[in-house]
Amino acid sequence: MGLEVLIVEDQVLIAIHLQDLVEEAGHRVSEVAHDGPSAMAAAARQPPNIAIMDLRLAHGESGIDVAHQLYEEHGIRCLFISANIDDEVRKKVAGLRPLGFIGKPFLPAEVIAAVQASAIAVESNAC
Amino acid sequence: MPAKPEIILNVDDNEPGRYATTRILNRAGFQVLEAGTGKEALRLARSASPQLVVLDVNLPDMSGIDVCRQLKSDPDTAGIMVLQVSATNIAVLDRVNSLSAGADSFLVEPMEPEELEAVARALLRLHRVEAELRRSLAERELLLREVNHRVKNSLQLVLSMLSLQGGEFREAGAKELFAKAIARVTAIASIHERLYQDTDPLTIDMQTYLSGLCAELARAGIGDERHADLRPAIEPMRLPTEHGVSLALIVNELVMNALKHGRPNDRSAIIKVSLRRIEPGQARLTIADNGPGLVAGDPASAAKPSTGLGTRLISMLVRQLSGQLSVEHTDGYAAHITFPLPQQPAATWDSKS
Repeated sequence: MGLEVLIVEDQVLIAIHLQDLVEEAGHRVSEVAHDGPSAMAAAARQPPNIAIMDLRLAHGESGIDVAHQLYEEHGIRCLFISANIDDEVRKKVAGLRPLGFIGKPFLPAEVIAAVQASAIAVESNAC
Repeated sequence: MPAKPEIILNVDDNEPGRYATTRILNRAGFQVLEAGTGKEALRLARSASPQLVVLDVNLPDMSGIDVCRQLKSDPDTAGIMVLQVSATNIAVLDRVNSLSAGADSFLVEPMEPEELEAVARALLRLHRVEAELRRSLAERELLLREVNHRVKNSLQLVLSMLSLQGGEFREAGAKELFAKAIARVTAIASIHERLYQDTDPLTIDMQTYLSGLCAELARAGIGDERHADLRPAIEPMRLPTEHGVSLALIVNELVMNALKHGRPNDRSAIIKVSLRRIEPGQARLTIADNGPGLVAGDPASAAKPSTGLGTRLISMLVRQLSGQLSVEHTDGYAAHITFPLPQQPAATWDSKS
């Protein structure tokens, strides 16, 4: 099953790179959002299967809050990406059934493996 | 002048004694709270956050020494200075026990007012210095986290930029050169993803670092060859970061060579990467393929790294590790790098023990 993936990342270069990797993994990027409001609007327009979520967005906005909204309003689970992933972060999103955590700088192979694992997790959940 | 007034907690079940102490401290200009039991003392120490506790050894419900021990073992109250007080007849034993339990100073009753005031001032001075150090340390830690975040994010931007740029090349030769540059930068940059996450930021867990790099090399490949069968077998081992980066760069060069030159014609290509301890104090890195190995009459064809830069990098890095490079041709081509493990205190050796 091909996934529809929403990318939430405020840095354009990294967002495009992630888009390339999602497509290399055989899935589709539904939209690229750069902050909370645009992510929520994108999810309402076209609900994705999963989101790739940067934990630190522009203007001090937290990807954790956006992830909460996505999960509570649309049941969308996230694959988290950040330069600082620690136990505190893991605890804060534990209730959102996170699909995984990827540290920056990431290896492309890691991203692809994590997206594939997410596809399996989401699919087995849908059945 | 400190921003908030300094509070002293005076703990003594003997009322006249407690009154006398409070009076001396009040006259010296301190704000004083009182407690008559150990339990009350612990409660007030937590709720009122005094800077100093004047603590009698003999309390009705528990020993003053136990109160001190509890205060010093709780992170919330460990910073509070403790001045333990005891009667003359049992003073020597109490003095030793008190100081062992974490008390900062000790006085014998009856106390001279001047001495009590002077000791209280000295301990409060110490408390201020310690509080300032703690605050400054916390600030530094925050700053370090922020710098660390920015370094990693910037490296990600560099890698993303290179990858996007790499997709633009059409000509095979240029594409391959660019892929090599990306792989080299990736090997260096990806160590930062793993540093600072664990307890020991000066060493790197080679198992996750090299296994991750191998997965990426297999994915990216060289030229149009992708998804190679790369089999890492890395022993759990922590090395200083500079050793880690050198080894990662060597793995990167030798695996890229194997991807390009080490492909057998009659079977599918397998590249094995192993890192293991051999004799005490020595480790060996091996990169082996099942390709054609040395071709007769052209001894350099397989062994020779594909670019001049690759050759120079490998020889310099092996020298930097004080290592030895040897090659072997059995079933394919294998390069072994044997190097001395750096001397380290045992504690940093095996991870998170």
